Formats: sequence, C-alpha cells, structure tokens
Amino acid sequence: MLAGGQSSRMGRPKSGLEWHGSTLLRRTAGIMARVTSGPVVVVRAPGQGLPELPEGVLVADDPREGRGPLQGIAAGLAALSGRAEIAFVASTDMPFLHPAFIRRVLGVLAQSEGTDVALPVARGYKQPLAAGYRVWLAEAAERLVKEDRLRPAFLFEESRVRTLDDAALKQDPVLAALDPDLDSVLNVNTPGDYAAARARPAPEVTVQLFGTVAKGGASGGPHLVRAATVGAAADAVAVVFDRHVTAALNGDQITRDRMTPLAAGDTVFFLSADAGG
Amino acid sequence: MPAGGYFGRALVVDVTSGTSRSQPLPDGVLRGYIGGSGLGTWLLYQMGTPGADPLGPAAPLAFVFSPLVGTPLTTSAKFAVVAKSPLTGMLTDALASSQFAIAGKLTGHDAIVIDGRAPELSVLLVDGDGTRLITAAHLTGLTAADTDRRLRSELGRGWRVAAIGPAGERGVRYATISHDGRHAGRGGLGAVMGAKNLKAIAVRAAAKVATADPAAVLAAARDLRERSFGPATAKYRELGTLANLLAFNAISALPSRNFQSATFDGTAELAGGAAGNAGGAAEDIDGMRRVARSSCASCTIGCEHIYRVGKGRKVRAEYENVFALGPMCGVSEPGAVLAASARCDDLGIDTISAGGTIAWAMECAQRGLIDAPWLRFGDADALLRALDEIGARSTPLGSLLAEGSRRASATVGGGSGAFAPHVKGLEMPGYEPRTLHAMALGLAVNARGADHNRSGAYEADLSGDLVRLDGGEAHVTAAVETEDRAAVMDSLILCKFLRGVFTDPFTEWAALLSGVTGWDVTGRELRDTARRIVMAKRVYNIREGWQPADDWLPDRLLNEPLSLPSGRVAALTADRLRAMIGSYYAMRGLDPQGRPDRTAVDDLGLA
Repeated sequence: MLAGGQSSRMGRPKSGLEWHGSTLLRRTAGIMARVTSGPVVVVRAPGQGLPELPEGVLVADDPREGRGPLQGIAAGLAALSGRAEIAFVASTDMPFLHPAFIRRVLGVLAQSEGTDVALPVARGYKQPLAAGYRVWLAEAAERLVKEDRLRPAFLFEESRVRTLDDAALKQDPVLAALDPDLDSVLNVNTPGDYAAARARPAPEVTVQLFGTVAKGGASGGPHLVRAATVGAAADAVAVVFDRHVTAALNGDQITRDRMTPLAAGDTVFFLSADAGG
Repeated sequence: MPAGGYFGRALVVDVTSGTSRSQPLPDGVLRGYIGGSGLGTWLLYQMGTPGADPLGPAAPLAFVFSPLVGTPLTTSAKFAVVAKSPLTGMLTDALASSQFAIAGKLTGHDAIVIDGRAPELSVLLVDGDGTRLITAAHLTGLTAADTDRRLRSELGRGWRVAAIGPAGERGVRYATISHDGRHAGRGGLGAVMGAKNLKAIAVRAAAKVATADPAAVLAAARDLRERSFGPATAKYRELGTLANLLAFNAISALPSRNFQSATFDGTAELAGGAAGNAGGAAEDIDGMRRVARSSCASCTIGCEHIYRVGKGRKVRAEYENVFALGPMCGVSEPGAVLAASARCDDLGIDTISAGGTIAWAMECAQRGLIDAPWLRFGDADALLRALDEIGARSTPLGSLLAEGSRRASATVGGGSGAFAPHVKGLEMPGYEPRTLHAMALGLAVNARGADHNRSGAYEADLSGDLVRLDGGEAHVTAAVETEDRAAVMDSLILCKFLRGVFTDPFTEWAALLSGVTGWDVTGRELRDTARRIVMAKRVYNIREGWQPADDWLPDRLLNEPLSLPSGRVAALTADRLRAMIGSYYAMRGLDPQGRPDRTAVDDLGLA
C-alpha cells in the first residue's frame, strides 16, 4: 500500500481521512489483509505519520520523498522480497476496494506463469495502483527510479503485462455480482471526491447471530445491515462485541477486531467466544 | 499429617483375592501431581505392569479424586478414572462429575485402585468397614442406570454407584463407566472394568477431610460461584454445548459423513433452528421439548439440557453426542439422534467412538469394503441397528465395530485406514482439523488420542487471535498453553466450562490449591506441574509402546482439502502438520522423535 503521496489536491494526508468510522489507510490495509496470505506492507514517506494500522501490518520507509508511485512500488516490492512471489499494489485512497477485486487480479497473475504484471484497465483507465506485480520486479523498478524514469509505464515497457479490462475482470462472477461497476478502483483525489465518497452509504452486509449472542437481544437473523466495519455491524444488531464474542467473516476468518473492514456482500457471523463442548 | 484436602493414601484392591491394602501417597507426589488426571497418571505408572494387556488382570483401574472434592468450590465434585486404554493401548483418563466423587473420596482415600479379576461378576463395596465383593449375578445385562437404582435400593442410604452397562460386560472397547447419569466416557474404561468382572463399584462416605484455610476456601467459593453466573458460562447455562452445532456448521468446523465434509445440510433441522433462527439451538428439537436443565453435583453452571424423546424418555443432548450420531453419520432426524444417544447410554458406550466407528463403517459399506448394504449414511434405522449389534456383539459386524475404527480398519483393509477417524485409536471429536489448525496439532500429539478435553487448542482457533487456516508457530504455542491449562484443571479438578471466568488462571488456581492444602503454591509452580503431568503421560505412553507415528492424523485430513463456502480452500498438509509437531516437541523439550531425555524423565519422580 502506497501511503506516501503528497495529497496535494486534497490538501491534507489522504491516509487519515475518515470513512464510515475508519480511516482510508486502515480500511484499505484491512481489506488487503483479508484477501492475501502474506504480509501487508505500507510504504510511507520518510518521517510520515500514519494513522493506526491493523495488527501485523508492516511499515516500509520510502527512502526518497517525492519520486512518485514507481518509487513506492519499488520500496514495497523490495520489502516483500523473500516473503511472497506476487503482490497486489494499492494506493491508500480507495474506499470501495473490494476483496473480490484483489482476489481476481492476484488470481490471474498467479495462474499466468508468463505474466509479470496483471494490470486492470477499469472504467477506461490503466490502474497501476490497483494491480498485481511479481515481487522480483522490485529490482527493475528501483533501477528505473535511479534513471529518473518515474512512471509505472516504464516498468510495464520492460515487463510482460496482461491487461484486464472490465469484461475480463468481471469474468469472476463474485466480483461481477458484488462490484458490478468496478468501484474498487475509484480513488479520492480532491475534497469533492472525498465528499462524494462519504455521501455513499456503508456497504450492505448480512449478519447472523449464534448461540447466546442471539439470546441477548436481536433474533438470529439473517439481518441485512449497512456497516463498513465488524464493530459497526455489531452495533447495527445491538450485539455487545466484547471478549465473549467473536466474529467470523464469510464463514472462515475469525476476528475480535472491531475495525476489521467489511465490503458489500460480506456475511458476518457473531459467535460465542466460549466454544467448548 | 497429610496436607489439607488429602487423606494421603490410596486404597488398592485386588479383586482376584478380594483383599485390599492402603498405600501411602507422599506429600511430594501429591504436590507434584495434585490429583485427578495427574495423580492418576503417577499411580498408573507406579502400579501398572509395563506392557500389560489393558483387558487383563494386571492392568490397574484407578478412580482418582482430588484435593478440591468435598469443598464448596463450584464444579469440584469430579473424579478421574485412569487406566491403560483398550482402544489406544496408552493412557486414558476420563473425568466425570457426580456425588460418587464426594462419597468415594470420603471413604478416606485419595484414590481407589483396582487390580486383578474377580472370580464372578461382582460389585465392589468400599466404605468405613473396608472393602468387600458381592455377587452381581442378578445385575448381569442391566443398564448402568438400572444397576445404580437396584444397588442403591439394596444397599440403602448413602451409597453411590459407578457401573457399567452390557457393553462393558461384553468388552466393547469404548464402553463407559456411568454414575448419576454421567459417564467416564472416553477410552474404554467400561471395558477395563468389565474385564475385572466388576459390574459396579459402590462407595459410602465414612470420613471427613479438612481444608487448611476454611475461611479462605469459603470466600473463594463464593467469589467463584458469583463468577460462574456471568457471561463466560452463559452459553453452557442458557443453551448447552449443543449451541456449537449451528456455529460450527457456519464456520465449516463441523465434521460430517466421516469427515468427508465440514458442514452438514441437516444442521438447522438437528439444532432446532431454521436458517432464520440461527440462535435457536437447543430450544426445541423437532417437536421434542427441552424439558429440564440440570447440574452436576456441586455445580452452579448447569450445562445439562434435557430433552424428551417421544412421550417418555428424557435424554441429555450435548454437542458431542449429537455431532457423532448426527452429522458424522449423516443423520439429520433429531428424534433418531436422541434415540441413538439414549441407546448409547443404555448400552454404556462412548457416543463419540460409537458414532465415529459407525460412520467409518458406513463409508466402508458405500465403497463395498464391508458387506452391509443396509448401513448407509443418513439412515437412522441403520444407526440404531449398528449400535445394538455393537452393544450385543451379536453379529460379526457388531463384533468388528466393537473393536473401534482402528482395529476394524486393520481387519477390513482395502485402504480403509486412511479414513478411519481416530488418533492413536481414539475416535475424533467434532472439531474439523483442516479448518482448526491449532486443534489439529492438539489432537495429533495428545496422550489420550483424538480428544478435545485434554487439548483445548480449538479455543485459539476460534478466538481470532491467530489464523485458523494457516497453522504455524502461534498455533503451537496455543496448543501447548491449552494442554497445560487442561492438565491443571483436570488434576485440581475443575470443570473446563469454568475456564472463561479466570483472568489469570494459573495464579488463581494456585490460590485455590493453597487455601485447600496449606501449601504456598504459586502460578509458576502450577505451570511446572502442568508440564510435569503432560510429560508423565507421554513417558507412560512411551513405556507402553508409543511410536512417533502415533502423533499423527488420519490420512484423509492431510490429503483431502476442503472447499469452504467462502471460496477459500482449507488444507492441512502433512508438511504443515509435521512442522507444527516438530515445534511442539521442541517447545516441550523433547527430541525430534518426540522423546524426552533421561534427565527430564528422572525429574518426573516416577521411578
């Protein structure tokens, strides 16, 4: 995740912008952590302060400030060297980034041996900051930065790039169903963009309650609610999300973190943490 | 003068001759192994003949009490039954709660150890007048509950009875010992008792035992009782463990059809809640009402939820028996599952091993490895018929399945061992290892075999503190920690359902033990005690023939990934399990083959 941009058009750091109870940085990092099996690395400018991050997220310092996104890509991929073979690169300002989008892009890259970059061309634009890269491209990216060739396009010129247009992306039925307009790639660059993003409601998710969690108040469900975080989903159904309760996202990942981000179509199960039997 | 809470001696009965003796238990042994499961391990190591046949006269059967029994501390009326398991050939230590614990201890002993084989089916009586054997000829073939009623009627007031059902008499390798409707269920202790020609043991209190600091114990008991009414026990109190059924199904942790899947279509039907009533577990089951809630002796939690089958029979429904006789066998008819559970009670057999063994046989029949076309997944009548044939050993198939899935698969062959659902010979409980990787390790390395009570590693998987589908070092740490906690709780003994009320468990348990005994026990000491007990069980098993390959899981779980409804694939590979086991051995101070060095063994004080 590239967090080190200048945010000049926004007029303030985008990473700390609030969106439905979370920050853009935390939300995007959390969405990436949900999908990937490896670490999430946030690349920041030297000395840049960051809002709170999910547990386990690594922070890498961009050695040089103001060198553009390719410098950030180089630093992020270098930080993942030896830890992963492929990586999804995102900017910090994508409130609608959907896990299914990341899964789709990385899935294509993982299954294409002769491809170095899986590059979405979504909503009419190339999306280098919502794309999949082979981690070993770090070296080439770093060399290009030293040569002052600072745009991602230069990296693509010497890489094997597979572009994914809207139709190709939406061949994944889950993505097509949950993010039909590919809002995943929408970013917020100006106060107007941000205001528009904030005006959109939190994602619609399904909540089900089990055991004593259901006995405490709301019925078991399923309940359709609007919630951008697990904590907000709990609040929406009057569940006290304390140490006696855990949440399972879509039936697999289990969390106690209220700030775990939710995306459209998610199902949240609230369970008793006292699981013995 | 023994420490508070102890008599400082064990009663050793040779039922071959009908004689008994008192064996002193040194203070150092009691402090080092506490009671229950820990002390039972020490006793078994001391008194068992190495390599003895578990069903032979030289294999002792120990009823072991604990220093907390008889105190006002909630859930403390528990005891351990410890023996060499006829299923695993290794140590088994089943716990149970009832007035038997109190009356048994107040015979004046910290343990009653039974050796030999009675000349005829007998009842062993133990009270202040000593021990004696009486005939049990008139009790032959009775259920444990009927035996209990008959004996208490014949013997008079004050007697408490632990008995076996017909399956124990017939040597079903997963027969139970029952008392007050509770069971020392796992590992085949009922078969061991049956092999001693004992239908029952009846005990009557004859002594008193003092605690070192009665005021402190009483204050602790009041505090613990208050906490036992709180949210940490709400699930058990309000719904019972059956609440797990829907929750585990939702997170793909519910093994079904002999571990061919981790979800079960009939779950909502079984649990009584339609999909829209996800929290409705244990209210009603298909027209059968929850008619009562009950507690074990000296317990303030009250986890027992009793259902009525048809017009008459009341049955205790818990997660494990419903899992094993329901989803595991593909049966979704609630009435049939409860009837099967009642049948297991009557026969006196462990529901988990019964369900696991029958589920394996259903798959064998499906694959044509067993000539029993009637034995189909989902067929409730077949389930009941199989239980009857097992309990009676009345047919070749019944006798085969009475041996448990490991032995049966060795007989049947045809690759059926790969899907025999056991570890070390003990059938697996209802926790899917492929989606619970900490629990996968806990099940693999546990001394008792596939067991969810001696390893509570599923707690970590379900806590959200680690990624349950990606087993690694954190899972190993969690498995060790939960195993240690269980070792202490099972030796004190306190009910596991109480564990959530403790915020600093080892320190709090040390304070309880100090108040009862007068020792100055610390949390650090109890952590050492836990490791000692876990190690002692391993050392016992090694003496009885344990091999590194015994710390492993069925091939199916390592070679057949699960596709989850979320789209993810849950895989537990052999490499991953091997890596976790290696880390576990290192954390336990064992060599790469899982064996302790000589110094570690000497430090256990077993010699």
